[in-house]
Amino acid sequence: MLKFSLKNMLIKKVQVILIIFSIVISAGVAVLAYNTAQQVSEGITSTAGYYSAIIGPAGSKTQLAMNTMYFTDAPLGTIPFKVVSELQQDTRVTEAIPFAMADSYNGYACVGTSSAFLAEKPLREGEMFRDDASLSVVLGYSVAKTCRVSVGDQIFTSHSAGEEHKTPLTVVGILDQTHSVYDNVVFTQLKTIWDLHEDGHEHEEEEDHDEHEEHDHAEMNGMVCAVLVRTQNPSFAMTLVSDYDGRIETDRDGDSFTLQAIEPMDTVRGVLEEANNTKYIVFILCAIILVMNIIIISIITLLNMYHSAKEISLMRLIGIGMRRINLLYIIQNSIIGVVSVVLAFLISRLCLTFMSDYVATMGVVLNLTKVYPLEIVILVAVFAISVLPTVICTTVMARKDGISD
Amino acid sequence: MIEITGVTKQFKNETAIDYSDLTFEDGKSYMLLGASGCGKSTLLNMIAGVLPPETGEIRINGRVMNTMSQKEKDRFRIQKIGYIFQDFKLIPEMTVMDNIDILRLEGVDTSGAAALLERLGIASQKNKKIKHLSGGQKQRVAIARALVKKPEIILADEPTGNLNYAIGEQVIQELLGVSEGKTLIAVTHDDRLAKYFDCVIDMNEVTGGRYDVESAGEKHA
Repeated sequence: MLKFSLKNMLIKKVQVILIIFSIVISAGVAVLAYNTAQQVSEGITSTAGYYSAIIGPAGSKTQLAMNTMYFTDAPLGTIPFKVVSELQQDTRVTEAIPFAMADSYNGYACVGTSSAFLAEKPLREGEMFRDDASLSVVLGYSVAKTCRVSVGDQIFTSHSAGEEHKTPLTVVGILDQTHSVYDNVVFTQLKTIWDLHEDGHEHEEEEDHDEHEEHDHAEMNGMVCAVLVRTQNPSFAMTLVSDYDGRIETDRDGDSFTLQAIEPMDTVRGVLEEANNTKYIVFILCAIILVMNIIIISIITLLNMYHSAKEISLMRLIGIGMRRINLLYIIQNSIIGVVSVVLAFLISRLCLTFMSDYVATMGVVLNLTKVYPLEIVILVAVFAISVLPTVICTTVMARKDGISD
Repeated sequence: MIEITGVTKQFKNETAIDYSDLTFEDGKSYMLLGASGCGKSTLLNMIAGVLPPETGEIRINGRVMNTMSQKEKDRFRIQKIGYIFQDFKLIPEMTVMDNIDILRLEGVDTSGAAALLERLGIASQKNKKIKHLSGGQKQRVAIARALVKKPEIILADEPTGNLNYAIGEQVIQELLGVSEGKTLIAVTHDDRLAKYFDCVIDMNEVTGGRYDVESAGEKHA
């Protein structure tokens, strides 16, 4: 039966290819859109939930959250390091991690922080940098893989203006793949950032660069872009935000800085609510594509069956029972359905790799092996849709006996 | 033995055919002669269980065809009857062997196909697609498919209809050769082939031709 089904499909290869193509497009697009939307949403939420509060310079709340948690966008500015020291002394706080972002390596963000920031991230290779040392880096998985860098290699980061620092940094460790934003970041000690910008400051003075840029570099010394805070409980986070939001701090030079404190989950939730509307539009478009393809698949199948009427009549005349004929066409369409659904799934994963590069710029790394139950439901539904018209057609034909006069 | 008793067949176009009682004995070859529309092919279709008669009875080896369920008719046709169609009823895109192997869907043993094709002189064509064969070759394939299941009854509807006389005569001889010992009922309008059959039945006499249902009263008066 299977052999005959395959032979029969080979005869109608153009129709079979058209049906498979149609199913692959509809199912592939639906699965890809759903998977991407879910992973982006989950990636953003899971990262936001890790910290209770973020304290940084006054400005956009979203920018502060996106910059410190997803390493996207530019930092809002700097605040004095003494804020970090103060928070580390605060009894409500369990962890206060400094965060400075100023450089990049081959387009990947370079973040100066403490080793505590990476405490829960396992290392694939090497060791974690020592907080009391300088000029050593730990690379995210994708950075090491893409740039083909190993432990012991030396790298040169670039300033945001595009100039490469002359001081090399030594790679001491490479993080395991996390399928998160951490895969795309170069981590180093806060001191490294300060040291590099001290050098850069001198260098740029030699090069006679504009005063504004020099001022920026000078400001990095003893400064951080933000502080990521974990509190003992959520109520402490609320009081901490209330205490620090809008507070004015002065550094040792007497410059004043207005602080901003946010609860990242609230900020991200607000962003996601706006993004959700876009997500629903994508889902509606996918549903429309899916419905249109159901109609197309049904029409193609019905036309196929119409053309097969002569063949069915012939088989009936030589004595082949309607049950066998039904089974023959159901097997054929099941093969088409299975092949299409598998291809749709594989193509959606292939597209996900391309999407991954795009989404990584938003700070989310897509996990290509992640499969959601709804994706399975979509694929099973598409399979059922590809077989259903045949079952209906052959059932109708069976009632009419299928023998033409 | 095939017994036709009091059979009538009415068509949608309001014409009908009344058949006189007929008996076909086992192992003999019969030739049904007659003008177009006199009911030759219809009789074959009724014997094969493809068409049901309006009245009367078609009894084959004691079993009444028209009281069988469709499923029983299908089983009977696949097991007992080899039907050779005028237009061959072959799938043009498939090969000769595939057209015969299609019977395996119903569990028919087609292992004798190669020998049968050899005997019919088309063994070398077995892997060719039907659409690439001549009319005579197609008819031989149709014969092979009908006979491969070793049926008790062979029905042939105009087996030479699409062939010239020389080839048609050869096909009839081959058909008679391979169906030796079986009941063969062949429909043809070429009386030159009559010499090859055990019995020749003039269907014009059996049915009196097709008549309008509305004027049935006048006919039978």
